[in-house]
Amino acid sequence: MTRVVLALLGLLLGALPARALVAELSQREIAVSTGFTGAELIVYGAKDTIPADIVVAVRGPQAPVVVRQRRRVAGIWLNGTSVRFDTAPGYYAVASTRPLAELLSEAERRRLRLGLDLLPLRASEPDLGDGFRHALIELKRDRGLYRQAESGVSVTGERLFATRILLPPTVPPGLYLVDVLGVQGGRVVASRDLAFNVRRVGTSAEIWRFAHAYPWLYGFAAVVAAAVVGWAGSVVFRRG
Amino acid sequence: MQVYLPIAEMSVDGLLIVGIGLAVGLLSGLFGVGGGFLMTPLLIFIGLPSAVAVATSANQTMGASISGLMAHWRRGNVDGKMGMVLTLAGLAGSGFGVQVFALVRRVGQLDLVVSVFYVVVLGILGALMAAESARAWLRRRRKIPRRLHEHFWMHGLPMKMRFRKSRLYISVVPPVAIGFGIGFLSAIMGVGGGFILVPAMIYLLGMPTSVVIGTSLFQVVFVTAAVTVLQSVSTQSVDVILSLLLMVGAVAGAQFGASMGSRLRGEETRGLLGLLVLAVAIGLGYTLVRTPEAMFVLEPIR
Repeated sequence: MTRVVLALLGLLLGALPARALVAELSQREIAVSTGFTGAELIVYGAKDTIPADIVVAVRGPQAPVVVRQRRRVAGIWLNGTSVRFDTAPGYYAVASTRPLAELLSEAERRRLRLGLDLLPLRASEPDLGDGFRHALIELKRDRGLYRQAESGVSVTGERLFATRILLPPTVPPGLYLVDVLGVQGGRVVASRDLAFNVRRVGTSAEIWRFAHAYPWLYGFAAVVAAAVVGWAGSVVFRRG
Repeated sequence: MQVYLPIAEMSVDGLLIVGIGLAVGLLSGLFGVGGGFLMTPLLIFIGLPSAVAVATSANQTMGASISGLMAHWRRGNVDGKMGMVLTLAGLAGSGFGVQVFALVRRVGQLDLVVSVFYVVVLGILGALMAAESARAWLRRRRKIPRRLHEHFWMHGLPMKMRFRKSRLYISVVPPVAIGFGIGFLSAIMGVGGGFILVPAMIYLLGMPTSVVIGTSLFQVVFVTAAVTVLQSVSTQSVDVILSLLLMVGAVAGAQFGASMGSRLRGEETRGLLGLLVLAVAIGLGYTLVRTPEAMFVLEPIR
């Protein structure tokens, strides 16, 4: 794997003079099948400018969520106030050669939406936003859906760089946009846009689509399947 | 062995799921109940969403009950008329229950409502069962005879109906009320309801023990089938892969459980079942009052 990446990097390097920054993904498509346990992608490339830092940001499709605060009423914990975040990305990861705060000013990072603290998360209740926004980020981080790696991009020989993108089993399907940015002197000097697709495939995808497109048929099919398995199982085990 | 569940949209350990099916099947074979009341809390405990746990558990209970129903039907242990009355009322109850379920899910209190139902229903029932079996045990030691069945005030309500197989001539109101209640609980808790239906048939309706199990299975199979379809339509939370994995274990476990159960005496079995039911109620009750690990919860919007 590493050798293949290095060979590809060599090829890229040969074509370098045309661009200040070249980058590629190890995979353009992630298949979520019945046995899916997460995936790992590699973003690799070469940069022309020395010294320069690299920032890689991955944004998944929008996945609206509601964050509910646990509240105690008469000794029992229940869900209290809730805030919706309609623009929350389903997945977000950012990796860089050095901590982001050292590379870019806050205004610049906000404009480019870089960093977990500067994600554009619009709350349905603006007054309550901050605590809930923080909770959302923490919960998504626990699930591996939001990530920030301050030294996640490694540089070899001053020109070649690579970083790994880890996708947990719960990664939402859809189009993922990857921004690769070359940063020098507090400014973005070069950039490349890449994209990959996370798709549900195989039996599990068919089952999900069927369940949502034809819920009545799905319900009847579930009944028939349970009846057949229950009956067949009892026959098998009675003989055994 | 990791298996991706298409509806729950998460990966679980397939062997763990089969193991849960096996354990619940074993206990259900031992006690002669469907085991849905154990299945749903266990599924919630291993991290499945409450909606998926409830809906799938109903589907699984249906599959696990069907062979029992066929066996009892062949032996003529099913009161078809009583079964129909209970089932029709049960369908109405489950239809209403699924609406309530969807509403509660929309306002974000599903976990709470499912847990509260479990704690209240299982708490009352476990206590009653344990007390009853203790009384039966004492009665047997003192050799006090029992009457065949007693007539309650509710049997004298209007709209009397004859149930030949059960040798009953009672008002249709109590079976309809019981059927509706069980159907409602089936939708909210993902249970077949046999563990409530059987004592209700014996003590409230006064049905002879010989037809009670067969007739309750009749109602359980049709009502859980209806719940499966209704949940598929209104919440899309029936996971067939999960259900089939559970059934593989449950069907095998039930056979071993049944042979173990034949060595226990009736009131001993009921006493043990009562204690088990109480333990589940206390376990879930604790999760309601314990300080949660996270003060916020995340829920996707569909």
